[in-house]
Amino acid sequence: MKMRLSNRLLTVLRATTIVGAGFAGLSAAEAANLKLMFQGDPYEVKIITETAKKFEAANPGTTVELINTPHDAYNEKVGAAVSAGALPDIMELDAPFLANYVWSGFLQPIAPYIDKAVLDDMTASNISQGTYPVDKQLYATALVDSTVALYGSRKQLTELGIRIPTSVDDAWTKDEFVAALEKLAASGVKWPIDLFRAYGTKTEWITYAYEPVLVSMGCDVIDRTTWKAGGTLDGEKCVEAAKLLQSFVQKGWVVPQSAGGNQFYAEGRPAGLAWGGHWFYAEAKAQMGDDVVVMPLPKFGEKSASPNGTWIYAITKNASDPALAGKFLSFMLQDPEYRAAYREHAGFPGLKSFAADSPLYASGGAMAVAFEQASKSAVPRPPHPAYPTITLAFQQAMNNIFDGADAQEELSKAAKKIDADIEDNEGYAPFGQAN
Amino acid sequence: MTTISGPAQMAAQTPSRVPRDWSAVIKFVAVLILALVIVSPLFLLVVASLKADRFQILADMGSFRAFWVSDPTLQNFREVWTFSGALPFGRYLLNSLVILFVTVLGGVFLNSMAAFVLAWGRLPGRAIILTALIGLYIVPQESIVLPLLTLVNRVGLSDSFAAQILPFMASPLYIFLIYQFFIQVPRDIYDAATVDGAGPFRIYWSVFLPISLPVLATVAILLGIETWNQYLWPLMVTQTDRARPISVGIASFFGHDSVYWNSAMAASVMMMIPVLIFYLAFQKWFVSSFISSAVKG
Amino acid sequence: MSIREVPAAIGRRRRALWDGRVQEIAMLLPALALIAVFLLLPFLSSFRIALTNERLIPRPVPPRFVGLGNFQQILTDHDFWRALWNVARFTLMVLPVQCGFALAIALLLNQKLPFRNFFRGLFFLPAITSMVVVCVIWATLFQYPTGPFNQIVGFLSFGLVQPIDWLGDPNWSMPAIVLLSAWQAYGFQMIVYLAGLQGIPESLYEAAELDGAGRWQRFWHVTMPSLRQTHVFVLIITTIQAFKLFTQVNILTQGGPRGTTDTLVHYMFTAGFVDQRLGLASAVAILLFFIVLVVSLVQRFVVRDRK
Repeated sequence: MKMRLSNRLLTVLRATTIVGAGFAGLSAAEAANLKLMFQGDPYEVKIITETAKKFEAANPGTTVELINTPHDAYNEKVGAAVSAGALPDIMELDAPFLANYVWSGFLQPIAPYIDKAVLDDMTASNISQGTYPVDKQLYATALVDSTVALYGSRKQLTELGIRIPTSVDDAWTKDEFVAALEKLAASGVKWPIDLFRAYGTKTEWITYAYEPVLVSMGCDVIDRTTWKAGGTLDGEKCVEAAKLLQSFVQKGWVVPQSAGGNQFYAEGRPAGLAWGGHWFYAEAKAQMGDDVVVMPLPKFGEKSASPNGTWIYAITKNASDPALAGKFLSFMLQDPEYRAAYREHAGFPGLKSFAADSPLYASGGAMAVAFEQASKSAVPRPPHPAYPTITLAFQQAMNNIFDGADAQEELSKAAKKIDADIEDNEGYAPFGQAN
Repeated sequence: MTTISGPAQMAAQTPSRVPRDWSAVIKFVAVLILALVIVSPLFLLVVASLKADRFQILADMGSFRAFWVSDPTLQNFREVWTFSGALPFGRYLLNSLVILFVTVLGGVFLNSMAAFVLAWGRLPGRAIILTALIGLYIVPQESIVLPLLTLVNRVGLSDSFAAQILPFMASPLYIFLIYQFFIQVPRDIYDAATVDGAGPFRIYWSVFLPISLPVLATVAILLGIETWNQYLWPLMVTQTDRARPISVGIASFFGHDSVYWNSAMAASVMMMIPVLIFYLAFQKWFVSSFISSAVKG
Repeated sequence: MSIREVPAAIGRRRRALWDGRVQEIAMLLPALALIAVFLLLPFLSSFRIALTNERLIPRPVPPRFVGLGNFQQILTDHDFWRALWNVARFTLMVLPVQCGFALAIALLLNQKLPFRNFFRGLFFLPAITSMVVVCVIWATLFQYPTGPFNQIVGFLSFGLVQPIDWLGDPNWSMPAIVLLSAWQAYGFQMIVYLAGLQGIPESLYEAAELDGAGRWQRFWHVTMPSLRQTHVFVLIITTIQAFKLFTQVNILTQGGPRGTTDTLVHYMFTAGFVDQRLGLASAVAILLFFIVLVVSLVQRFVVRDRK
């Protein structure tokens, strides 16, 4: 207790010296301290630091302490912070882990503390990534979101007579997609598609980017009402989806993992299409200019599906003043300079007003189709506390399937692993009990 | 320390006679070629750090173009420094240097002292302690990092220099290394010192340390590099810029969906320079130690 | 207990001995205390954790005592045995390559050579490069099918040898990791050998030369035996380091393709930090500890001094 007090004093002392003479007169007891744990690249660090300073200036007596944590060991740090009872007031987290954190009791609903204007401004996809399925409450928000789109070369596709879809509604069907790949292969393209296997074999990318194929074909990595993987992940439709992706690899259509993630635009354009995240646009555009065309992910079955989710902000149960934390988040998301910085780095909008403000994503922009997915086809990854196990099991299965293993066998193994973990945690109650 | 690295000493080190001129030239050329082959992968790093466009670096990867830059610029290096404010690299560098020097200084002293006792002391159970130490070296850092983090948090050392120095100063590896060196010291040297009535610390300090420069330099260099490149632990234990080392600062360039290759490469090159200087300074201690002369005389 | 309590009757020698012991303890203690607190203690706590189903991020369901359940699960997991086999393979390959190369370079750099300090710096550069950067560089060198290595192989074989998927082909993945690891780490052994070479008395070489020993004979009969303690150190430490192989695998292959580069530490890391099963990971760490301990003890026994 004593130590925490002295720590607090120390932080306040440090903060006041940084902020300057303006607050020197304030007594430590009156100052409200907000601890914010986040991860980001240098540009994000810079803009968040500036925003925090402005917030401090606008709210005398408040200090914002930034805890910048490179995303590499983020979960480990969260774990250690929980063990030591030292969670910050606001923490940034990777959206698919939200359910795990809420279930574990670290977070609190944020809607009461966030400006209504901001809440109303959130896209459907942004709301879904921050919502906990048990109480249907919002636990996190952010300015940005993410998606995956299909990239191609306008020239190449036109020459080959391949139709270029312009909206989620006229996305390629499965047959059209396969036909396009066949045409590309026949035209002498080295690899018809890059699925970015170069990102690695144990990476969130696999679940993030490939699960939509499963969902579009009418299945999922886990049943979202009974919360059982068995019977779903190893069901007929998922096996079919996995086999489809496997067949692409076996036909030599997919850029191999060790060829790097630049084959779509590297010299000679070895890859025809790219199944890439929204951030990939900037890379491709830098080399190919306006020849890059952005298309929606194909509609493999009855419905379209696309991924979403990024690093989002939540208020922890530790927050001494959740209202102040909410005030800061509202301030940050509406700060023009904060928005400008994200716009400059092609941030994928999670707020409607931010989209209208971003020429790249606004109607008529090159990435408009990608943004359209956020309202029409975005499906969050399963919001379940077992997500760490779900994604790992799925990643391992998909890798083995890509490497030639039997799809049914691998998916059954993954489903068993997931269900065993759920059982190991006594069902993660109240999950799987309602309905 | 420098007095012993005179020219005469250097010549005395050469085991064989000075070869004929032409063979010396061939040898020199062979070593040069070998060195260039070994170092060539690092050209890629330097070349990439001179390319301003991170997308160009990405596009060039995986071909020989990665080894070529058409319009070299130092812009990346400047940029890394201008992140100051958001990411104060000067501060990170200073932190890294502080951690490096304290760890190495303390490490060389503590480890050699312990190694001396294990090699020449009279305490019972020295062999067991040594075996246990080697055993502990087996424990992978990844497996203790979490209990260690909880421990550090509990004692209030989180986000401090101490948390990055204390766990690495004493090391089974370097105790073992110095031990292996100390036990080769001829018995006469030790006995001569005890006859003079010197206690263990005196013998260690004024007899063993001076003849152990090569191994102490080795420990300083290896421990220094290890400390300099520490990543996982400082990543977990630092929260603010107060004690954050440069290795963690660089990690920020590897964002979750984009990598700032240009800055990352420039920062990586910059990060290698101080430790290279550190190495070059210490490798001068690789001179024939007094053991050989002691044996001779 | 202080010196004053020692009965005065004890002679000066005894007292000196006693003083010596106190000094010895004082010299040994700081290092041992630090190691005990920061290495032994955390390691011991993993024995406790290994018997539970504790998670990386604490959960509302309290951790349960599961006895030897974690060990049972690991020992019946095919992937664990594969990881063990992989590190054994890695160790057997990397030991001769890395140590042999390091010794060769150390011998070279110990001779009279123009710009010797410059070369010592050059040959040491890989060792001071951080592993993350090394992996970025080597991923480019290994790139399939047009990376520099494949171009060199194609050029040298006049295009006869097809491009090799170094990191993606199960047959090549481990040799590729071995090559990269040896390149990055040989500086460690090199510098230890360099230090060891300084301890060889010049007189031994002179005596050998008088006996008419040639260059090779001097190497085999003077240099190698004189480096005995260094060899022992290098052998044991390189083996332990090899068994702890992790970073490069985690960055480049994540254990793939088809598990051919999965290692014990990578298996542990995945269990603990990705799957968040701290209990399971601790059990792996303990198994790893005992496996390597046995290997080290066997090595110590084999290379022990036979006097």
